[in-house]
Amino acid sequence: MEYTIVVKNLTKKFGDFTSVNNISFKVKKGEIFGLLGANGAGKTTTIRMLCGLLIPTSGMMEIAGYNVFTHGKEIRKCIGYMSQKFSLYEDLTIIENLELFGTIYNIPKKILQKRILNIIARLNIRDFANSKVLSLPLGQKQKLAFATALIHKPEIVFLDEPTSGVDPLVRRDFWNMIYESASQGITIIVTTHYMDEAEYCNRLCFMSNGKIEVIGNPNKLKEKYKVASMTEVFQKITNR
Amino acid sequence: MESFKAILIKEFRHIFRDVRTLVLIFAMPIVLVVLFGHTIRNEISNIKIAVLDYSQDTYSKLLIEKMTASTYFKLTKQLNSESEIEQAFQQGIIHMAIVIPRNFEESIVRFKSTDIQLITEASNINVATTLESYGKQIIKDFEKEINKNHSNYIPFDVNVKMQYNPSLESAYMFIPGNIALIMIIVTALMTSITLAREKETGSWNMLAITPVNQLTMVIAKIIPYMLISLICTAIVILLGIFMFNMPMKGSFALLTIVCILFMLTACSIGILISVITKTQQEAMLLCMLGLFLPALLLSGFIFPIENMPWAIQIFSYIVPATWFIVALKDIMIKGAGLITVWLPVAILTATTIILIVVSVKKLMSKNIS
Repeated sequence: MEYTIVVKNLTKKFGDFTSVNNISFKVKKGEIFGLLGANGAGKTTTIRMLCGLLIPTSGMMEIAGYNVFTHGKEIRKCIGYMSQKFSLYEDLTIIENLELFGTIYNIPKKILQKRILNIIARLNIRDFANSKVLSLPLGQKQKLAFATALIHKPEIVFLDEPTSGVDPLVRRDFWNMIYESASQGITIIVTTHYMDEAEYCNRLCFMSNGKIEVIGNPNKLKEKYKVASMTEVFQKITNR
Repeated sequence: MESFKAILIKEFRHIFRDVRTLVLIFAMPIVLVVLFGHTIRNEISNIKIAVLDYSQDTYSKLLIEKMTASTYFKLTKQLNSESEIEQAFQQGIIHMAIVIPRNFEESIVRFKSTDIQLITEASNINVATTLESYGKQIIKDFEKEINKNHSNYIPFDVNVKMQYNPSLESAYMFIPGNIALIMIIVTALMTSITLAREKETGSWNMLAITPVNQLTMVIAKIIPYMLISLICTAIVILLGIFMFNMPMKGSFALLTIVCILFMLTACSIGILISVITKTQQEAMLLCMLGLFLPALLLSGFIFPIENMPWAIQIFSYIVPATWFIVALKDIMIKGAGLITVWLPVAILTATTIILIVVSVKKLMSKNIS
């Protein structure tokens, strides 16, 4: 089995506070891997460490076959990231944003132009293409941020609560984009608050207090806890 | 290189789309220079004057008495010859000299025309013009007083001459001081704010996970502000020379080098501030407290360093702006070359190198590899 992410005994401490406590997991290529848990469970810290935005206190991480500590630069080329905050430049136009990130990833001009046209067509935002990102509705912004995170065709995309604050219809759209990417072999790590979204994941990892409570397929987890929905699974785990 | 260019272009776009801030930035040097040029050292009281009285008669003594009776002027020296005027200005003991011609009394009594010369110290054009108008007013009052009963008198011909006095150079301090302030605002404050803003909005992370290294990112972001601060500096220098008669005796090349050096110092402080702060507000406060206020109060810009208690003087000499102002003053007013300003230049260079090393190390330590 080919694993794109291997995490072993990962720990992150902020002073006395242990945000992530000795966690280990593996993610397969093309898998949609959900990180679930209450606020402060350590999901965002985990994602930030995987992206190289935070230095772990201890542990080992391997991403796309590279060791995070020794091959940061190679890893950066093959990961994409989208955070819970909208992080494109609001005073730049959609095209300017896409061009900026495309150029940073050294995508040749012609290929980049083609990809940008594809994104604009796919998101149906041709009318907005030359207006500032500021003028886009939130749902569209989030979809655009996702598309931007994919512009360099990364192997792995990290989505940190990508749909928070977005209405259900756009969320469904967003998840369609996620499925599409996964079907192309892109590995997706996603954190979420929404239990219905958790059902869409191939595998889930429940975290609380910096530790992993359980990892498994949503349906198998429901069977295991003998309940009908993920909300109940979540309650069973947190009440334990 | 491509990504460096992309970030550079992006930063210029941010700046040019924020028209209000842009206008503020370019209006600032003009406002600062005009404001400080007109407020500093502009109140007139106990201005030291000298008198060269060729007549030594009743009327000339009356005029001198009238002059010094006001709180505006204080007679500090009686002169005996033309050459002593120059000397007194050179020594910096007077700001204005009055020359009363021979046969003053006779001219007045016989209704003949006579001239009085006012020589003012012109290093600060505002002070000079104020002195001139005060002096003229007193002479006019005197004229009316002595001619109370006559209507056909011939008014004094008051002749004003401005003289530059190199030893009173502190009057020009506001130009170097303003340059220091503007460098700090545009380079240190603006760069630390723009970096902090990216952290606040999360866009920093979007860039940080890309293959671009953080140093490239920061340099590309800072260059536009460097350019703007140099343009602002040029505005201040030109205003100083053309509006406030600031001399420019030294070489423009050396002046430019020193300005660029201080810009780098301000920049490195800006980077350091943005590395250790998380929000725009924090960065702004730190810039104000750690940079702007010391440059305003401790650098000798407004308050002379010699008059400070020794403990505060130590702080004054730690503030980079102090050395920058010393160097600028020497170059512009004294026409000093590199040999004369080697100390401030060396200190600024050393400070800049240390700050850049520290901030780059801090910056890189946040990167895994």
